[in-house]
Amino acid sequence: MKKIRITIRIAVWVVLLFLCNLWIPGGKVFAEEQIVYRLKWLINASTAGDVFASSQGFFSREKLNVEVKAGGPERDAIRELELGYAQFGVASADQVIRALSKGARVKVLAQLFQVNPLQWIYRADAFTLTRPMDLAGKTIGITYGGNDETIMRALLASAGMDETQVVLAGVRYDYTPFFQNKVPIWPVYRNTQGILLSDKLKAGEERVSFFNPAEHGVRFVANSVVTSKKMMDQAPETVRRFTKALLAGWEAAMMPANETNVIRALTVHDRDTSKPVMRSQLAATRLMIQSNPDIPIGTIDTEAWRQTEQIMARQGLIPGPINVVDHLNPDSGL
Amino acid sequence: MLHRRIYQFFIVYFLGIGLLFGIKLVLGLSDYVIPGPSNLWNTATAEWYRYLGDVLNTFTVAVVGQVLSIIIALTVGVVGRKATWFGSFIKVAAYNVQAYPIVAIAPILFILLGDGYLTRLFIAAMICYFPLLLSVIGIMGEPVADIEHFYRITGRLRWQLEVKIRAFENLYKLTTVISGSATLAMAGTIVAEFIAANAGIGYSIRIALYQSDLSKILVALFMIGITLSFYQGVLEMLGTSLKKSWAGK
Repeated sequence: MKKIRITIRIAVWVVLLFLCNLWIPGGKVFAEEQIVYRLKWLINASTAGDVFASSQGFFSREKLNVEVKAGGPERDAIRELELGYAQFGVASADQVIRALSKGARVKVLAQLFQVNPLQWIYRADAFTLTRPMDLAGKTIGITYGGNDETIMRALLASAGMDETQVVLAGVRYDYTPFFQNKVPIWPVYRNTQGILLSDKLKAGEERVSFFNPAEHGVRFVANSVVTSKKMMDQAPETVRRFTKALLAGWEAAMMPANETNVIRALTVHDRDTSKPVMRSQLAATRLMIQSNPDIPIGTIDTEAWRQTEQIMARQGLIPGPINVVDHLNPDSGL
Repeated sequence: MLHRRIYQFFIVYFLGIGLLFGIKLVLGLSDYVIPGPSNLWNTATAEWYRYLGDVLNTFTVAVVGQVLSIIIALTVGVVGRKATWFGSFIKVAAYNVQAYPIVAIAPILFILLGDGYLTRLFIAAMICYFPLLLSVIGIMGEPVADIEHFYRITGRLRWQLEVKIRAFENLYKLTTVISGSATLAMAGTIVAEFIAANAGIGYSIRIALYQSDLSKILVALFMIGITLSFYQGVLEMLGTSLKKSWAGK
C-alpha cells in the first residue's frame, strides 16, 4: 500500500512538471533560436537600429529570439564570439583588423556607419579648420590607444605634416580640458557626444564646428556587424535571417516617420538623454548611417576597409597585411 | 625573506599564465582572446623596458602616496580616538570619503588638481589610507589599561604619551598593516593612472585595453608583481631589523 502511494506521488509530480513545462511562456521561446547580440557601446542613438529591430519584432518575425546586450569599454564583441558568449556583435574596423591579425576567425556582415562619427569638435569663433594644415600649432585631443589616435596620425601623415607641428594631448571621457579651452580640439562621436557638447556651448553663446577626417581623405571604417566564421559555416541561414532582420530594423529606425517610436525604444535603456537631444542625435545619425540614399543601409565599403587596413599597417598596429577584404561578407543579409 | 617573496610571486604568476595557456589550448582560442607563448614572449622582449620605466614611475607615486596615507591615517586615528564630538565627526568624515567610488570623485579631482601627478597621488593615498585608518583607530581607541592607569593616577598622562604607549604596545600590528598597505598603495596608483593620468603603468594598461592586447597586459602584470614583491620584501626586512634593534635595546 505504501509503495503504491509513493508511486502515485511520483507520477503526480512527473505530470505536474510536464504541465509546468507546457505552461512556461517560453513555449514561444523554444520555437525561436536564441541569439545574443553584443553591441560595442552603451545604448544610445548610435544603436537606434539595433534596439528598434529588437523592440519592434523584426527579429521575432525571422524566428529569432535576440538579446541585445549593451557594450562598453570593458566589452569586446569579437572575444565574446570566440568564447561563445555571443553569436553576433558590433565591432569597429580596427578591432576587426587587430583580431584577424591575431588569428581570430571573424566575418563582417554589414557596415552600419557609412561615415565615421568620430570627428573633432572646436569653437568656431576661435579658429576655422578647413584643411589639415590648419591644425598646425594647435593642441589636439586624442585617446592614446584609441582609433582617434590612429585616425589623427593618419590624417597628419597624409597631409605631409610632422607630428611635432601639433600638440597631441591625451584625453578621456571627462570634457573639462575642452570646456576650459586647454584642449580646444576634442575628439567626439559627432552624432552623440557632439550634439551634447554643442548644446552646452550654445547655451553659453558659443558656436561650434566639427573637423571630419573623411572630408580630407581619411576613410577609417567605424561600427560593423560581425559574427564568427564557425557561425557562418554552421548556421548560414541564421546569419542570413539575423542580418536581414537587423538591417530592416535599421532602415525602419532611420525613417523620420518612426522617430517617436525609436526614441521611445531608446528611452527604455537610455533614461539620461532628453528627448529633444535624442531627436538631434537621431538626425545626425541618419546622415552617417545612410549618407547616400542610393546606397542601402549596411553596405560594406570595401575601399574604406582596405584603406583602414593600410593605415593600421603603416602605423605598425598590425604586423603585416591580412587582406581584410577576404573577411567581408557583403551579401550575407542584403 | 626577499628571495622568498620573489620566488613565491614567480610561482603564482606562472601558475596563472599556465592556466590561461591551458584554457587557450583546450578551447582552441586565437591569440586575440588569449595570447600564445610566442606572442607573449615577443611582447615581453619588445615592451619590458618601456613597462619597467612605467612601473617605476607608478612605484614612486605609490611610495609617496603610502607615506601620505600613513600620515593621514595616523592623524585621523589620533584625533578620532577620543569619544568626543570632534572625534566622531572626523571618523564619520573619513568613513564617508572612503564610501564614495573613486570614479565618481575623479572628475572633481580633475577640476581641482588637473590630471597629473597630484591626482594620482591623491587617489593612491585615498585607496590606501582606509585599512590603515581602521587599524590605527582600533589601536588608538583601545586603552592599554595596565600602563595608562599609573600615568593617569599620577596625572602625567598627556595625549602624546597615550599615543606613544598604544603605538608601542601594538607595534607588530602597525608594522604588518603598513607593510600590507604597500599593495593597496600600488593598486591605488594604478587605478588613479587608469582613470586620471597620462603616465605610469595604469595608463599603459588602459592603452593596451583599448588595443585589445592581452599580451601587453600580462607583461604589465608581471612587472607590477615583481616590483611589488621586491618592495614588500624590503619592507618586511626593514620591519624585522627594526624589531631586532628594539629588542636589543
